[in-house]
Amino acid sequence: MFASVKRLFKSTAFRLSMIAASLFALSSLIMLGYIYYATVISALNQVDRDLQDELEELVTVYHKLGPDELNKIIIVRMLQPGSDMKYVYEYRGQPTGNLNTQPTFTDKKEWNLVKQINEFRNTPSRKFTYQVDEFRGDEKTTTTHRARGQFRQISDEAKLFIARDVEPIMAPAERVRRALFVSVALALSLGVLSGIIMSRRFSRRIGAFNRLAKDVRDGDLKKRIKRNNSGDELDILAEHLNSMLDHIDRLMQAMRYAGDSIAHDLRSPLTRLRTRLENAGSEIEDEAARDALLSASQDAGELLRTFDSVLRIARLEAGERREMLVELDPKPLLDDIAELYEPSCEDAGLDFALEIVGKHKIRADRGLLSQAVSNLVENAIKYTPRGGAITLRLRKISSGRTEISVTDTGLGIPLEDRQRVKERFVRLEKSRTKQGSGLGLSLVEAIADLHRAEFELSDGPGDAKSELPGLRAALIFPKFQRS
Amino acid sequence: MRILVVEDDEVAAEYVRKGLMEVGHVVDLAGDGELGLEMAKSADYDALILDRMLPKRDGLSLLTALREDGDTTPVLILSALGEVDHRVEGLRAGGDDYLAKPYSFTELLARVEAIGRRVDPSSVTTKLKAGDMEMDLLARTVTRAGKKILLQPREFRLLECLMRHAGKVVTRTMLLEKVWDYHFDPQTNVIDVHISRLRAKIDKEFDVPMLHTVRGAGYRLQD
Repeated sequence: MFASVKRLFKSTAFRLSMIAASLFALSSLIMLGYIYYATVISALNQVDRDLQDELEELVTVYHKLGPDELNKIIIVRMLQPGSDMKYVYEYRGQPTGNLNTQPTFTDKKEWNLVKQINEFRNTPSRKFTYQVDEFRGDEKTTTTHRARGQFRQISDEAKLFIARDVEPIMAPAERVRRALFVSVALALSLGVLSGIIMSRRFSRRIGAFNRLAKDVRDGDLKKRIKRNNSGDELDILAEHLNSMLDHIDRLMQAMRYAGDSIAHDLRSPLTRLRTRLENAGSEIEDEAARDALLSASQDAGELLRTFDSVLRIARLEAGERREMLVELDPKPLLDDIAELYEPSCEDAGLDFALEIVGKHKIRADRGLLSQAVSNLVENAIKYTPRGGAITLRLRKISSGRTEISVTDTGLGIPLEDRQRVKERFVRLEKSRTKQGSGLGLSLVEAIADLHRAEFELSDGPGDAKSELPGLRAALIFPKFQRS
Repeated sequence: MRILVVEDDEVAAEYVRKGLMEVGHVVDLAGDGELGLEMAKSADYDALILDRMLPKRDGLSLLTALREDGDTTPVLILSALGEVDHRVEGLRAGGDDYLAKPYSFTELLARVEAIGRRVDPSSVTTKLKAGDMEMDLLARTVTRAGKKILLQPREFRLLECLMRHAGKVVTRTMLLEKVWDYHFDPQTNVIDVHISRLRAKIDKEFDVPMLHTVRGAGYRLQD
């Protein structure tokens, strides 16, 4: 569950649709914010300005016409039909007004006009709530209305508070605010949902591309992606990919053909050269000349063999022969190799041991695997001085995979050279004196790759007498799976 | 033996012909696939040496046509395509042996003589004989001059291969293929070591050695 959520968050499609959803949410936030401002904030500002004007007007009345006149004007205005203005006018402790319930200020519990006036002299306008009694027949309902009001101490004896009910403005504001939250929440959740759906769809199609890439990398150049012919970007990508693979396949075939032709064209004259030398060698009477001709013919043979190995490695690397791998038990194969090389080891003064632990099954080609193991054993024989030991071992390693290893007590390979020796024609300095083409381990590597096996080189057990590190060359096969 | 060589490379064909004639074979040459098929059908050859890549008609199609015609002449296929899968293809098409270029003439000779002998009427043999050595394939026993020689299973097969081609050269590659079923060339003298062990068992106690090393070619068991 957690892993799948993590995978979802990693998916490009999901991220993109999350970004789109966020942008959508943001734009609706801005849009509704503007509507809110236009309908509510500016209306409230207008109310505040009206209150201010009204207050100034009344104060002017007080100063010009006196407190009684003001009282009269206030009463007239209070009685005007449809007016939602509220007045509280106090003159010498005598109040007049139509705010018949106690107003509640959000931050003050007590209504004390004098105190409020003193405290909020400088504030232009305050919001508060008050109770309104409404009668429908005999039933009385009390609702709380919101209002804005302003104080003014006109003189030592006169105080004035005027207010306006803003409930008609605030009610739609509430709706706008709610719409705002709903739309943002909706945008986000729709975004997540479409993100999930999109990323599913997208990753299914991208998954097909990834599988194709993997198959091609593993050497199956015949694989193509199935198009849905919708003409969208992915479909076009699939078309391009398919035609690219067709092209690569054609090139590979051309190369292979060229390779075969080169093999044919170059090997035939080389063969002739060798036959010529051989024939000349067998006809000539002079001993020295014959030896020279025969060794020249052997050199030509060596050249041809190297050429052959390079072609072989190239073909193995193309992975063409992977379908030839079959299910087999490596034991008899190793028995044969052991039987083949045991006498050679004995002649070279080396102890040879074959250790087989457990039952095994791997997917392999007998000929190729035999060649790889034989290369490793021959290497071990070549680089282990007399008195050493070679062990050919078949066992299961911890992960349940099968390992075939050749361990010797010979010269070993320094850590920094272990990757390099698997490359073609790489020979280490100390092995230059020995015969070889520098292709042996490359061939083993290519064969291992074909089998999807790992080819590992590490230090051997070491030899106390000769103080040589030894070498352990291991082929680790993937866990066997019935196909 | 009367041998037909179908090879488009004239120089190579000429050398093969010269070499085979020197050891007493009668050789005809054909330069392309069509001519090769015609000649193979019109005369009775003991063996065919067939190049895979030929003008007009490729080697494998020639071979298939020949076999469909009921012709069982032993065929050695020559090719620059030395991979095992090609080898399998060649053998499946009805070839008797497969030799990848580059080959040495001795290798070619040894193989042609080996397949040429296969058509012996006594093809189902249970006993092999060479000089004073006898091999019983059923009882898995070997005697030389009436004296029993004990051999390991692999040594037995090695000797069997040599005895089947007694008097002829058998190359190291042939031994690896026929005795061990390996189609690659080891870099070391691994076959020589096995031969020397076999030699110690069959020659040591006798005055006349039977197992000879042929320089630059392979081994020969004296008939």
